Amino acid sequence: MDPFMSGGDMIKAVRIEGTTYHDLPWKFEAGTQAIAEVIGLGAAVDYLSGLGMEAVRAHEREITEYAYEALSDIEGLTLYGPPPSRRAGVISFALEGIHPHDLATIADRDQVCLRAGHHCAMPLMTRLGVAATARASFYIYTQKDEVDRLVGSIKEAQRIFK
Amino acid sequence: MSSTPADDQFYREYILDHYKNPRNFGRLENPDISHEEDNPLCGDVIGMEFRVKDGVIEDVKFHGRGCAISQAAASLLTERLKGLPLEEAKKISKDDVLGELGIQISPARIKCALLSLKVLKVGAYGLAGDDEEGE
Repeated sequence: MDPFMSGGDMIKAVRIEGTTYHDLPWKFEAGTQAIAEVIGLGAAVDYLSGLGMEAVRAHEREITEYAYEALSDIEGLTLYGPPPSRRAGVISFALEGIHPHDLATIADRDQVCLRAGHHCAMPLMTRLGVAATARASFYIYTQKDEVDRLVGSIKEAQRIFK
Repeated sequence: MSSTPADDQFYREYILDHYKNPRNFGRLENPDISHEEDNPLCGDVIGMEFRVKDGVIEDVKFHGRGCAISQAAASLLTERLKGLPLEEAKKISKDDVLGELGIQISPARIKCALLSLKVLKVGAYGLAGDDEEGE
């Protein structure tokens, strides 16, 4: 298999007649290694270990359940996917009569970032029969009042598009 | 709740009006020019059909689906195109379309706003036909 990228440390010899690549894995690891990224990954692992992954999951589940319940109460809103007990910290949804990109623009004004579009899952969108959905995601730093703000943005969008 | 007046500025009445009641929406029978484009990133689709007589756009209709910005921009554009010489229509610029929308369009939404202009340009210059011949 030929390497897709050339750079430092991935050859044994280069001649006019042809190149001899280095042995694996060097052949596929051209150039400077991701040194800063590896150090950063170590710091991230230390940080999360300090919090405790059980605590990370517990917070994620709590905030996701809170959001799921809040969104369930909104009329004209369709939730996609399983119940919160079988979810990671993401919720995809769609509003009747409002394109997800329009909702995302309105939420953006309230400092709420939504992902809107087909989420690199076009066959799934086809299966669901929708052009696009909006998606909110939650993590350790997400607070309940931010979920409340999202609910406010959705209601504002419904008011604008009524 | 916490929304700012900027929301209403963005989704001004006439934008929403064009979205909910698009002008010149539908299809033409035996159009002289017909072209459709989509934005694969968001799934917006706009198609336009023109009847051209003596170099003037006699009638135009558009069809499609998508967000308020893409659909309102298309509706506004068709209003401008009716009765316009095709050569003039070719000169319509990005700034003309954005000016007509009259709202601040964020970089993420520029493609929504300009999808109908792309349909017009590709259709008017006959580029779509060239492509098909080339295949």
